[in-house]
Amino acid sequence: MTLAEFREEIRKLKESNKYLELKSYLLPALWIAEKNFPAITHDVMRVVSEELSVPLVEVEEVARFYAMFHTEKKGKFVIRVCTNLSCMLRGGEEVLSELCRLLSVKPGETTPDGLFTVEEYECMGLCDGAPAVTVNEDRYTNVRLEKLPEILKKYGWKG
Amino acid sequence: MERLLLRNVDKENSHTIEVYLKNGGYQSLKKALKEMSPEDVVEEVKLSSLRGRGGAGFPTGLKWEFAAADVKEPKFFVCNADEGEPCTFKDRIIIEKDPHALIEGMLIGAYATGCRYGYIYLRGEYPIGRKILERAIGEAYEKGFLGENILGTDFSFDLYVHSGAGAYICGEETALIESLEGKRGEPRIKPPFPVNAGYLWKPTVVNNVETLANIPLIIERGGKWYSGIGSPDCPGPKLYPVSGKVKRPGVYELPMGTPLSEIIYEHAGGIVQDRKLKAVFPGGASSSVLTAEEIDVPMDFPSLAKAGTMLGSGAIMVLDETDCIVKAALRLIEFFRHESCGKCTPCREGTDWLVRLVRRIEEGEGSEDDLDVILSVSETMENSFCGLGMAAHNPVASSVRKFREEFFTHIKLGRCPYRRG
Repeated sequence: MTLAEFREEIRKLKESNKYLELKSYLLPALWIAEKNFPAITHDVMRVVSEELSVPLVEVEEVARFYAMFHTEKKGKFVIRVCTNLSCMLRGGEEVLSELCRLLSVKPGETTPDGLFTVEEYECMGLCDGAPAVTVNEDRYTNVRLEKLPEILKKYGWKG
Repeated sequence: MERLLLRNVDKENSHTIEVYLKNGGYQSLKKALKEMSPEDVVEEVKLSSLRGRGGAGFPTGLKWEFAAADVKEPKFFVCNADEGEPCTFKDRIIIEKDPHALIEGMLIGAYATGCRYGYIYLRGEYPIGRKILERAIGEAYEKGFLGENILGTDFSFDLYVHSGAGAYICGEETALIESLEGKRGEPRIKPPFPVNAGYLWKPTVVNNVETLANIPLIIERGGKWYSGIGSPDCPGPKLYPVSGKVKRPGVYELPMGTPLSEIIYEHAGGIVQDRKLKAVFPGGASSSVLTAEEIDVPMDFPSLAKAGTMLGSGAIMVLDETDCIVKAALRLIEFFRHESCGKCTPCREGTDWLVRLVRRIEEGEGSEDDLDVILSVSETMENSFCGLGMAAHNPVASSVRKFREEFFTHIKLGRCPYRRG
């Protein structure tokens, strides 16, 4: 998405009249950015700031506050591995280390080809299927270590 | 027990309006709008004695009465669908499998309190739920249940989904409102309460998903009928999400006050590989731990408070004899450190210190003095600005109190006795 297209998307968002004041559009606008840019950079934030009449610093503090917004460049696919209690009890930490081993990255890092970012993540409400992993908006439950290569291949992993 | 909250979830395409209507859906809304005044609806909900299912257990009817009494306009009705308490996944079932029950509950609540606009604040981690809710809202508009002059009455209500973006603190209602306003999710001082000064400082009702799913039932069958289910002082059906080391993890609908032992052994199938139960966090990550000797407690607000813990979201997390309590406490306090918004000192610093102290013990480098420091830091955290910090130390402090020997063993051995390899 270009910055001009992004600006157009925010204008469309404003026309929905979903909120009674401009600043409330901030999270929805940042969601558009999160889904369409590798990172929510200052250039992206500046467009949001101009369209919503919110100071740039306030856009940035919000973009940095929420765990799902990436202000640093992320991979095409963000893999979130839950290691909170129920997933931990059922092997979530082992899933995380195996995934990091397969992709040769540390938690929080992106593979050199820009395909995957691996994140150790907090509870995603999939505890009945612990251990749980999500890849962008797809979810995988009762994940077994030996199934990880198969999951990765679906997203273009050459392994 | 007859399935009430989960009555629709096993039906094919239960998330569509056709299936919901076929099974009597939106009849309670019709009844409320055509046969009852807003005051009647509030009275019926008060009569039911329904208490909020998000964690705090505030009487829903009373909250609605306060909001209805405020004359500032416009008023907002917000559904708290930011289900972020670790190991809680009960609201997800309703959002994904019975979204119209939630929407109907919101409509009835908005009518009772005079709210014109509604938002479902949905956690960012539920993208599937978002699609389902947006589709359901679209269907409700098409059928005339949302929009202007609903069912030919003067009542108008517009409803939108607002996606959070990964912040546990936004489950706290004033932080949620800040987030809705496009800010960092930091809690506000109370009072004023949201019912008087919430979103854009206008009267705002904030109710949990499960709370709202009860509303169509109460209107359909009456508050008196509802108040006869389960524990007399906090009645109704309750969704209990059970996870960890049980044979059948899942969401179980049971009368409020069902004993914890019955939920674990009869409904969730007991402990994996028939091991011994070691410990249970009975109400999410911020509840104090219970030992195997303490699990006959009825799962309701007053009984768990009496047992020194809390019902919270009702999320039951089960540990077996092979699990390390120090490790469990460490993981939970790491979560709270990550989620502390940083606004107040006791929570921001307290969660950080507890992580350092418990990690030191888990890694075999702790000392006996550390246990007293943990309890002292925990006490200070009681002075936090909001509920997050006030409760964040519970899993750690209660583990130290009830499993002191296990902490000692770590200190004496200089390692975690449960760690493999």
